[in-house]
This record gives sequence, structure tokens and C-alpha cells, in this order.
Amino acid sequence: MARAAQKKRKEPEQDEDSKSAFAEAVRLEMLSDEEKHEGKEGGDEESDEEVDEFPEINAESDSRSDDEGDVEEEGDEGEDDEGSSPSDSESDSISDIFPKSKDIISEVTGHPKRVYPEIEPEYDSDSSTEDDPNRVGNIPSHWYDDLPHVGYDVNGKRVLRPAKGDELDKFLATVEDPTSWTSAWDKNTQMDKPLSPEELDIIRRLQAGENPDGGYDPYGPTVEWFTGKGKEEVMPLSAAPEPKRRWLPSKWEKQKIMKIVRAIRRGRIVGSKPKTAGDKPQLYDIWNEPPSNQPPPLPAPKPALPTHVESYNPPEEYLPTDAERKVWENTDLEDRKHDHLPQKYSSLRLVPAYDLFIKQRFNRQLDLYLAPRIQRTRLNIDPNSLIPNLPSPSSLRPFPNYCSLKFTHGNARVRCISTSPDGAWVVSGDDAGNVNLWEVNVGREISKWCFDGKIGAVEWCPRTDTSYFVVGTEDKLHFIVPPNLPSVILHATQSALAPAALPPATESPIKWSSSPGQEDGVILTILLPAVSGLTKQIAWHRKGDYLATVSNRESQGSVWIHQVSRRHSQAPFKKIKGAVQLVLFHPIKPHFFVATQRYVRLYNLAEQKLIKTLMPGIKWISSMDIHPSGDHVIVGGYDKKLCWFDLELNDKPYKILR
Amino acid sequence: MASSSAAVVFTTKTPYVLPSQKFMIPLDWKRYQLSQLINKALSLAKPIPFDFLVRGSILCTNLGECRAENGITEEDTLEIEYFESVLPPQRMTTLPQEDWVSSISCRISQHFLTASYDGHIRLFDYAQKLVQDVPAYQAPVTSVCVVPSPTLTDESVLVASGSHDLTASLTRVSLVPDALPPFQTLTSLHLHTSPLSSITSDHTGSHLLTASWDHLIGFWDTTIPTRDEVAPTSDPTSSSDRKKRRKVASEADQGRAKRKAPTTVLKSHTARVSKAVFAPGSNQRAYSCGFDSTVRTWDVELGVCTDTITVPERPMLDLVVTPDGHTVLASSTDRTVSIFDLRSPSLASTTGTLMHPATPSCLVYPVANASETLSPPSTSSAPQVLTGAYDGIARLWDLRSLKSAVASVKAWDGSPKKILSVDWVGEVVGVAGEGGVEVWRVGQGDRVLTGIK
Repeated sequence: MARAAQKKRKEPEQDEDSKSAFAEAVRLEMLSDEEKHEGKEGGDEESDEEVDEFPEINAESDSRSDDEGDVEEEGDEGEDDEGSSPSDSESDSISDIFPKSKDIISEVTGHPKRVYPEIEPEYDSDSSTEDDPNRVGNIPSHWYDDLPHVGYDVNGKRVLRPAKGDELDKFLATVEDPTSWTSAWDKNTQMDKPLSPEELDIIRRLQAGENPDGGYDPYGPTVEWFTGKGKEEVMPLSAAPEPKRRWLPSKWEKQKIMKIVRAIRRGRIVGSKPKTAGDKPQLYDIWNEPPSNQPPPLPAPKPALPTHVESYNPPEEYLPTDAERKVWENTDLEDRKHDHLPQKYSSLRLVPAYDLFIKQRFNRQLDLYLAPRIQRTRLNIDPNSLIPNLPSPSSLRPFPNYCSLKFTHGNARVRCISTSPDGAWVVSGDDAGNVNLWEVNVGREISKWCFDGKIGAVEWCPRTDTSYFVVGTEDKLHFIVPPNLPSVILHATQSALAPAALPPATESPIKWSSSPGQEDGVILTILLPAVSGLTKQIAWHRKGDYLATVSNRESQGSVWIHQVSRRHSQAPFKKIKGAVQLVLFHPIKPHFFVATQRYVRLYNLAEQKLIKTLMPGIKWISSMDIHPSGDHVIVGGYDKKLCWFDLELNDKPYKILR
Repeated sequence: MASSSAAVVFTTKTPYVLPSQKFMIPLDWKRYQLSQLINKALSLAKPIPFDFLVRGSILCTNLGECRAENGITEEDTLEIEYFESVLPPQRMTTLPQEDWVSSISCRISQHFLTASYDGHIRLFDYAQKLVQDVPAYQAPVTSVCVVPSPTLTDESVLVASGSHDLTASLTRVSLVPDALPPFQTLTSLHLHTSPLSSITSDHTGSHLLTASWDHLIGFWDTTIPTRDEVAPTSDPTSSSDRKKRRKVASEADQGRAKRKAPTTVLKSHTARVSKAVFAPGSNQRAYSCGFDSTVRTWDVELGVCTDTITVPERPMLDLVVTPDGHTVLASSTDRTVSIFDLRSPSLASTTGTLMHPATPSCLVYPVANASETLSPPSTSSAPQVLTGAYDGIARLWDLRSLKSAVASVKAWDGSPKKILSVDWVGEVVGVAGEGGVEVWRVGQGDRVLTGIK
């Protein structure tokens, strides 16, 4: 094929001979490479075969073109002639892929240049006409992974997968076959394909990072094609007139800037503070700051002052003996008194460098670093001191411990009870109008009296020589004598409540009616005015002569004080502010407590004057009691507050318990 | 092996004596297994349950724990005394009453004597039939006791009773249901100015002791006075009434029971006296307890309080003396029963207490039979006490084991009803209180029972 190419080339050569006169006149070489080669065979060594329209930049070594180019040419020729004769398509193709170039001196420019052999555009001149064993094309090879064939040849027949050797074969191939190291895996044919030396050369150059072209000379001289003398561009590359925008502010830049400006104006971009060059440095006037109230930090620990031990010329007695030296060496570093041994030098210039200098400095720095800056005072609160000192229960005895007796009575609600002064009897009054007398020890009802309406209050007379109790119902007060009284007491009671000789009856809305000779039961009845309402509370004076009752209704007639001995009742208050809840007699003095809803007023009955108003701060007072000593009053209310008053102190409660 | 069993020797005071031999008994044996062992060793015909005493305290847990509690080492031989078990009491009958029963006495053989809060004294027989109903007082009767009297026949008994109306009386009650008169008030005892809390008689029936709320104890003899020793209370209201009274008095003089005055008045208590009893077998010494937390010993003849045991803050409710006269048990309102040893020099301390969950209101010491004479009872040596409490439960205690009651029975099913009085004669226990009367039987082994049909 090459010969045919050569023959073809020879023919135009003959044609070109006639043209050569013209070519000589124009000084253009029209000869092809083959002609050139033939010329060389004939002895013609130098011939300019290439027609340069454009002078090629041949950075390749022009210097070595003379020698090498000839050698190469001859080599090429030889190869060409010899390689083409057996018409080995592979060698031809390889030589076609990697044509060998020649460096010759260009006749036009006089500079060396690289020349490649002419490409004969024959049928087989490129590899596209080669027989492709597998014509599937550029497809992912894993498509055929599980199939026995790898593709199809030109006739449509399957190209079977070549036998794949196992690992042992592959290993042996690396040992025995030298070309296995220089083979590449061809995906198309699924085989190892040995690489040609040219290919290997290119691969080597690529891996080394060099220019893969073997003939490239990186050290060639600079050829100033455009800037060299005589080579300056005389004519402009383009005849277009220079645009005005080269001298105007840039349109595109303005557009970009306007975009940013609009964003800034809208607030989408916030500009940063410009760092002004002449800004003052931020100064802190530390000496003008107000002194802090915090305690000053603790002073740094002072280093110990040097003593004779540290001296470079201490007195002899400071120098350690051998035994002392041994002891010093044997002790631990922490336990040593001094970390050095005293040494004596006769003069300062004989003193060597101190070996422990850095260590000591470091320790001193550590001391300063770890020194406490502030002293924190720890709160040393003994938790036991927070527990209040409550009295032990044994000192508060006796107090109720357990429920020892329950009295069962009828279905009605019992609202009031009272125990007799000797503690053996209890009277209870309920909502159905029954008054029961109970024996305390056993819980057995002894007697019963029935009245109309509810029982508002029951109180036993505190006198020990008589024995009777008062029952308060609607508008009435009944004085009842319990049964089984010894005769002495019975007589005394009868004479107190229902004496034979009645004092002269006074004109009053209150009527006292007694039944003399009664031994058991109601002996005396006081009829209060009809609008009084249910008696809420009965309070006895300690002597058992005066009796105060509080009724429900109106303010004026709500408090009555009755005197049993004189059979006389009176309403001591003309007008009371607020609804009276409770009254109490003072145990010692002739004072009278009246508790309304919010206040407790203390009256002197003898002088008929208001002494004090206690303000417990309770919204609704429900109960009140006074200590037998007469100095302390406790007032309780429905809002779960209990106030303790000391009557010698002011009107405000001494303590409020919630 | 040595650590899992102990050497034991058995002793007894019962008729069932075991030949003395050492037993090796595993430590986890309890009363039941030991009892079975004794039965097998004695090869008794009928199995008898036994209880065991180790160093004076009853065996409740197993042997190992008992040994550990008493601090007995492994080498020592345990001496265990066995005695017949007390079976838990069984309820025999219930006699519901209309009103609370304040006192009961079983001393009349085959009969129960009850005093009630409605003022009546009733006599029942073992067939639950009401033999006699004595409307003795208008006010509640608080206490009743039988006065043993050799003069009276088997057909009537002498009954002493005290009431809320400040008087006590001696009544002869006939045991025959239809006899006439069914009862007769022989005399009324007047001293007190407050309701009486108790009345007791000595073993001969010659003297009586009354205790009352007015801190006084009256010592009386049981002779019937022929005329009033205490003047009737005069009414200072009108002279006409007085005259009328005198007339009435002279007319009904013969039929009316005379008023009697006490022989001696014992005054020392500072609060209500709840109980006064004679020392067993004597009518010269008496004991009393009161709400002033004291137990006092009296020489009745001189009328002087010879000794006082003061226990702070323990008002006493009831008192009982063991027949040997050495121990006194007093129940108090702080839910304990204190045991006092009268022989110990320091009388202020108690030798033991029995803890109760509710107030123990009454105590009784068992008495062998109804007709008890001077000699102390020769029953089993088991010192047992029955207490009745306000929660309606009567507890049987063995004084050798004070930790817990041996048995407890609840009287009157339903809500707890207070027990106000108990009496125990032989095997019959009478329980009286809020719910009426209940009769229980407390047995001992397989003794032949006399009594309830």
C-alpha cells in the first residue's frame, strides 16, 4: 500500500518537475516528502519539501535538525521501506500514529523546523478502515458482564469473551512474559494489548510531567515572531475603528454598581463602618474610674529575702558537711529546706552560672500565677442553728394524744357543748331542741330535755356551790338543774335561781319566770324581747353571777347582761358598729370584751367606757378566748388566721399564726 | 448439728408429769410441736394442748428466738415448764338489754346479777331467764355486788348496790321467781355527795366499801339499822312542808328502809375514787384507786391511808388484787393496765404494764367457784386476768407474758360497744356494757364443765 502511495506520489512528482521552473521563479518548493526522500536516495540531501503558507513555529531544536534529521530521515526511510514491504498493517498503523519527524533548516526562513512525513490519503491511511474485532462502540463494558460474548463483529457474529486466566496465570505472566508489564487492558476486546514503544514513551513522559512530544525542545531560543526587529506588526489585525467605550466609563461596571447601590438603598446590603485611618485608639482612663467597693485583691506573695545561705561567700559554718550533703541529697525535692547547697567563692567573678535559675524563676512565676486574687468568705452556717428551738413535747404535756371516747347521740347536729366545773358532766344542745346531759367517764346520756327550736348555746355556771346550766334558745334562756344533786347544792341552786322571796319586779322588756321547788329540770326562764333571735353565745362571769348573752339579730338588742342575784337584765350598748360575734368577761378585772366581725373592743364595765380596740386584721372573727391570767387574748377567724394579743402591748397582734 | 437444736429439760406443775430426760429439740420448733412432743411422750389418750414457759415468760416464737431473747448460750440446757393451755373463750349466750349495763356479778351460782343504767337490778339464771327485776333506784345504778351472808338461805341473796342518786342500798333479792316479796330494800346507805362509783363487800359479808366521786370512801358494816342514822335532808323552803314531811315520816316509819351511816369515812384521795376493794381474806386492809393517779392502801379500822402508790398522769379506772395479796393491777385512762408489786419497797414503780388500744375500763381476776371461803383458791397456778375495754374487746392476759394478750374476744358484733364490767367465776365470764350482757366460757384443757346448758 505504501508502495502504491509512493508510486502515486512519484507521478505528481513528474508533473511537478515541469512546474519546478515556476517554483524556482517563485522560490517555492512544491516537492512532497517522498520526493524529498527520493531526492535523497539520489543523493539529494537537503531539499525543502514543505510549502509554508504560514511559517511554523518550530520550537523544536533546529540545532539538532542537521544531524538528527538526517539520521531520522534515513531511519525513517529505512523503516518505511522495510516496514512497508511485508505490508504489516499494524506496523504501518503504528508508524502512522507516531510519525517520525525530521528537523531541517527551512529554506524560507532559514531557521530549523520540524517536518513530518506526508500523509498519503490512501484507503488504509488511517485506522478507521482497520478491522475492528468488536464493533459495539463506546458503551459501558459492564453491559456484557454476565454474557459470554463481549460484542459483535462486522458480520454480526458474536465476539466471544477471551478466556480469562486465573490469578495464578496472571501472576506467572508477570514473571515470565516481559510484555505483560507493558500491556494495557483493552476494554473493547477484553484482552491485554501490548503497548508500542512510542506509546510507552508517551506514557512515561506524561507520568513525568513532561511534554509528551519526544521531539520537543523546551530550551529552545525565544524567537520573537511579532516583536522582533523587522517583525513588528505593520498592519493592524483588524481594520475596525476603535470603539468609544474604551475611553468612556464602563457601562457594565456602572450596571453592577447600580445594582449594589439599589440594594444598599433598599437596605438589603448594610455597609460596614469604614475604618478611618485617623481614628483615635480607644483609651481607658483607669485612674479616673471610681474605686470599686470590692475589697482590693490580695497582695502577691512576697519572695523570701536572701539570707546568708544564698550568699556567694557565706561564713564557713553555713557550708554543709559531707553528712549534711548526703542527707540533703537523700531527701525529696519537696522536703528540702533550700533547693541548693551553700557554696563559697572568694570573689564574685569566680561565681559560676546559677544552674537553678530558670527553675526558680519558673516557680516564682507559678507562685504569682496561682496566688489567690480574692478571698472568698465562706458562709459557715451551722444547719442545726437554723432549726428553731421548739420546746420538747414533754414540757408541753398534758395535751390530747388519742381519741378515747365517742358519744353517740341522735341524728341532729350538735352545735354547743359545755362541761361542768367538776368535769364529770357534759351538756350538749343540738338543732332539734334536745339538751342532753352526759356522764363524761362512760359516755352515757343521763338526762334529756326537749325545747322548741334550735339550741343556740349552752353554758354551765362556774359556781361550785351551785350546779346548774343555762340553755339559750330562740328568745329564751332556760336555767336547768341537773338531777341527782346533793341536797346542799340543790338548796343553794334553788335559792339562787328561784328564791322564795322575789325582789320587786322592775319594768323591763325582760321577764324572769322561775318555778320554785323544782328539783330537776328548768327552774328559771328568761324571756328576751321577741325580736332578739337565737342566742348565739352565753358567757359567764367568773363569779357566776353575771351572765352575758349575744343574740343574732339587730345591733342594739344583741348583747344582754343578766344578773342572777338581782334578777335583772340590761342591754349595755346603745349602738354597736358591726354584728357582735362574741363577748367575754375578763377573768380578773371588770372588763368586757366585745368581738364584732373585724374588731375586738374592750370595755370597762365599772366605768362604762371603751378602753381599747384590738385590730386583729381578720376579716371575720369566729372565736376568742382569754388566758386565765388575764393578759393574753387569742382571736381566731374564718380566714384561718389566729391572732395572739398581749393586752399590755399595743393594739396590734403580738403574733399571727396561719 | 449443734447449732440447729438445743438441749431441753421439761418441768411441770400439772398432774401430767414427764420423766426427766433431756431432749434435743430443733430450734425452729414452736409451741405446737413441743406440745405434740409432750403428748407423745406422755402417750395421753386425748391430746391436751400445752403452753410453755421459758424463764418466766410464755413461749410465743420458736425456740431459737426464745433462746436468743433470753441470752441463753448454746451449751446451757433450756428448762421449760409446761402447763395446760387456756383455750380461747367461747361465747355462750347474749342477753341484750334495753339500756347500758354498768355492772355484773357471777358470784351467785347459776345466776347473773346485773345493774343497769335505767335504775334496775336484774337477776338472770343460766337459762337466760329473767328471775327478778328490782327497780332499785330512779337514777342509774353504777355498781352491784353480792354480799355473802351465811344467815340467808339459798332462796335469797343479799345485794349491795350504788347509784347516781348518791345513795347505796342493801337489798334482799329472792332467787325464787314468784316469791313474795321479790325483793326488799333493807337499808340505804347515805354518805356521799356525788354519785357512787363502786361498792364492794369483803369475803365474809360483814363489811362494805363504797367509793364515790366526792373523793370519799365509806366503810360500812352490814347490820340493818332499826332507825335512821342519818337525818333526811330538810327542805328549807317552807315550814309547812316540813311539818308535812314529819307526818309522812312517822307513818311510813316501819316499812321504810332505814338510812344508815358509815362506820368510817376514808378521806385521802384528791380526786374521784373509782374503786375500793378489800384485801383478799381480810376486812382490815383495803385498796383503792382514783383519778388522782394513786393507789392507796388503807387500814380500815383506823381509817388511815397507810400507803400511796403514785403514778403520775394516770387516772385509774379499776383495781383488782390477786388472791395472794401481793400484786395489784390497776387500769387507767391512758390505755394501760399497770401491775404493782406490793411487796417491793419502792411502791412508786410498776412491775409491768399491759398495753391496750382502747381504754381498759374493767379488770377481773378469776375466782374458782362462787362460794369462795377464806382459803385462797387452789386452781391452776396460771395468773390470768381478763380486761374489758371501750372498744368492745375483752382480753385475756397471762401475767407471765406481758407482751400481748393470750386471747381477745369481741363482745357484741357490730360497731364497738364499750365494755363497762366483767366478772369471772370458775369458767364463766360475764361481760357487761353498752350492748347488754354476754356470757362466755373460758375453759382449761378438757376439764369437765359445770354450768351452761
